[in-house]
Amino acid sequence: MATLEELQKRIQRLEDIKQIEKLQRIYGYYHDYEEWEKVVDLYSDNAESVEECDYGVYKGKEGVRRYYIDLLKGGKDAKPRVGYMSIGMQIQGVVTVDPDGRNAKGRWYGFFVEARPILNLHDGELRQLWAHGIYENEYVKEDGKWKIKKLHFFLNFRTPYEDGWLKTPVVGHNGPDMNVPPDAPPTNFHPFPSGVHFPPHFKHPITGK
Amino acid sequence: MNLEKLEKQVTLLEDIQEIENLQKLYGYYFDYSMFPEVMGLFSENTDSVEVTGHGVFRGKEGARRMYEAMLATKRSGWIFFEIMQSQGVVDIATDGKTATGCWYTPSFECRPFGGAQRQTWQFGIYDNEYIKENGKWYFKKLRWSLIFWTSFESGFLKVPRLTDDLAFPNADASPTAYHPYPSRYHVPFPFKHPVADA
Repeated sequence: MATLEELQKRIQRLEDIKQIEKLQRIYGYYHDYEEWEKVVDLYSDNAESVEECDYGVYKGKEGVRRYYIDLLKGGKDAKPRVGYMSIGMQIQGVVTVDPDGRNAKGRWYGFFVEARPILNLHDGELRQLWAHGIYENEYVKEDGKWKIKKLHFFLNFRTPYEDGWLKTPVVGHNGPDMNVPPDAPPTNFHPFPSGVHFPPHFKHPITGK
Repeated sequence: MNLEKLEKQVTLLEDIQEIENLQKLYGYYFDYSMFPEVMGLFSENTDSVEVTGHGVFRGKEGARRMYEAMLATKRSGWIFFEIMQSQGVVDIATDGKTATGCWYTPSFECRPFGGAQRQTWQFGIYDNEYIKENGKWYFKKLRWSLIFWTSFESGFLKVPRLTDDLAFPNADASPTAYHPYPSRYHVPFPFKHPVADA
């Protein structure tokens, strides 16, 4: 029979998984409502980086702030654009907590229904879009709370509703922004039909490979 | 509360967590056509696998034949699957050795057929069985029933099913649950009503 200590460890791992799942889903809800300050606050002060699609790598908590506030929001006083929508469902999360219980990784699918401009992030007429991609994220537990340490979103496609991912796999991606430049160029921008795989962090549960 | 009872409760939650992971890993591996990884998730005592109209394949050997045709056969053209494993309901049997799972799968796909590249929507439902062997959960039975498979351009009302989703020639038996929209066929849920069923 298990000891109380063993059981406490096993329960702790389950709680950690649930808290991280919740963190990622809350990230999604804030993202959808353009609550960028709240998104930034989900990151650790020791955040490593955020990288999405072809926007490049933004490093450290300061980079995280520049990415969400300066780039995505369009500046700290920018008002949300009427008609803009980007709902990104956080699906199929697989969370792996390190044995030390302080670090974790997660893989998710992101499935987006959007109305946004494609000229750049903020200008041009609104288009209705479907988008899909994969997250491979890292989390860290600090002072008893799980936070995002590193977020990387690999885009599979972002396509106009009228065309579909076969006809037009990608719109609205023109490389890193010149006014809010990233700290490093994109590391993995290979949408459909590249065939490039975004490697999963997890090990096969049976073979361990 | 005694420790024995507490351990049972913890084990139940762990089992649900491991099975949810198993099903989601299956999804990620399948989408990347990772044939050996998919096969590794099936028990040596696999009962059967059945996917859409391809027919029933019995035993682990049967599962291998089906997945080989689906995942390990080199196909030309742009292949793309994003089959999202969603809304899982997992029930562990009282003995803790077997379990059932019900899942939805909305999906985006591309594949060549009918002489052309096609972009398609596909939607279906799993009713699966899992088995715990040597402390690890495996698939024992997998069945995925098609609800619709339509081109991106047409939609599921106009074209619920693109072509005959052909039975594989080496299947052990004909499909048991191939009744896509608008048949009104309902896959029997593996779970019990949480309130009405004692």
